[in-house]
Amino acid sequence: MNLAIVLVVAAAIALGIILRLAVTQTLQTRGSVELNGAIRPIDIEAFRNLINPAEDHYLRRNLPPPQFRMLRRERLRAMAAYVRVVSNNAGVLVRIGETALASGDAQLAEAAGQLVNDALLLRRNTTVALARIYLALAWPYSEFAAVRVVERYEHVSGAAMLLGRLQNPGVAVRLSALR
Amino acid sequence: MLQAHSFLWHYLWLAPHVLQLGLGIVIWQRRWYKRFPIFFVYIIFECVEEFTLYTMDVVPFGSDALFWGVFRVGLIIEGLLKIALIAELFRHLVSQWPAVAMLGNRLISGFGVILVVFAALIAAYSPVDNPQFTIVSRVHVLEQTFYIVQCGLILFLFSFGAYYKLSWEHRAFGIAVGFGVVACEHMAAWAIMASGAMLDKRHLLDLLNMATYHLCVLIWCYYLLVPQKKATTSAVALPENNLAMWNRELERLLQR
Repeated sequence: MNLAIVLVVAAAIALGIILRLAVTQTLQTRGSVELNGAIRPIDIEAFRNLINPAEDHYLRRNLPPPQFRMLRRERLRAMAAYVRVVSNNAGVLVRIGETALASGDAQLAEAAGQLVNDALLLRRNTTVALARIYLALAWPYSEFAAVRVVERYEHVSGAAMLLGRLQNPGVAVRLSALR
Repeated sequence: MLQAHSFLWHYLWLAPHVLQLGLGIVIWQRRWYKRFPIFFVYIIFECVEEFTLYTMDVVPFGSDALFWGVFRVGLIIEGLLKIALIAELFRHLVSQWPAVAMLGNRLISGFGVILVVFAALIAAYSPVDNPQFTIVSRVHVLEQTFYIVQCGLILFLFSFGAYYKLSWEHRAFGIAVGFGVVACEHMAAWAIMASGAMLDKRHLLDLLNMATYHLCVLIWCYYLLVPQKKATTSAVALPENNLAMWNRELERLLQR
């Protein structure tokens, strides 16, 4: 009987999650979710500086171990915050690209398709990067590089710029904050 | 009213499958079976299976063991078809995007294996709820096992799509929602039956299962027959920013 109770509760939770996700999906399809304000600009140079292994080596050489570990963990937490923003932006770009796909314009659809694929790849990379950052938080001496996330983000920025230009040649698109 | 062989019971057993048959004819006429071949096979199989079982129940011929034997064989084929259908829905969701298609296939396959092992372990620990007629108990446990796997896979399907913000095709979405609702409710109902609880009120669980399946077929009818409302594509544009800033960004991008 206990097993049945566990399964009934699990089924109720699963049904709740499925219905919630289904409603969210329906709202997204009907365009009720605001996308324009959802992208948060990123200071790419600060992010690049944060993930630079040379900086870590310098700090490791010049700081006593306890201080280095503390500083490294703070840098990793900041890195995780950046990666989360990148992941969120990638998700928004997937939605924007999918909406543009339905436009009927072949050139726009091609650019949108490229943007969605790149953004999906970026979102996948950020998931792995976040897992590695949390691992590095437990072991601060481990080597960790999020360079691929930054590179991929810049690639996606390029694809978004192209799509933005095709969609509306009169206005500009920016996904990274300036120095 | 809420008894076996009442008008409601007959209606709930037959009506969804009559609707399903109509849906099958529409799918055939509009050639949607090319996009959803497994769904088409599933609904036709389901109609044949349920009309056979209904006839065996109402016009008794053969033994009870024969009825439950047919039920069990149908259940196994139906369960395998449903798992193949979930794979078909997953293919619709990710096939357009190679960036996540391979990862998704690996994840859903791995998750499926874990679910099968988990469901098998639960089946091993399930009691025999009807010692006089063990074939019924085994059918209950088999139903529970199939629905644990289906419920988990459907949940994975929706979670994966939501995490990557993937858009569902209108019809595939409707099929998945219907299956999601029925898989969760059936998992709970068969878990109660397999545990041996509510022995004298099983007909209520049967009616609940039939009513949920009716709801599921209505969801399919809505999503397959009612055209999708067009989204306003022009309203969603990329965020606007200062042109000089964008140019500088682009220059920096090109310099790398």
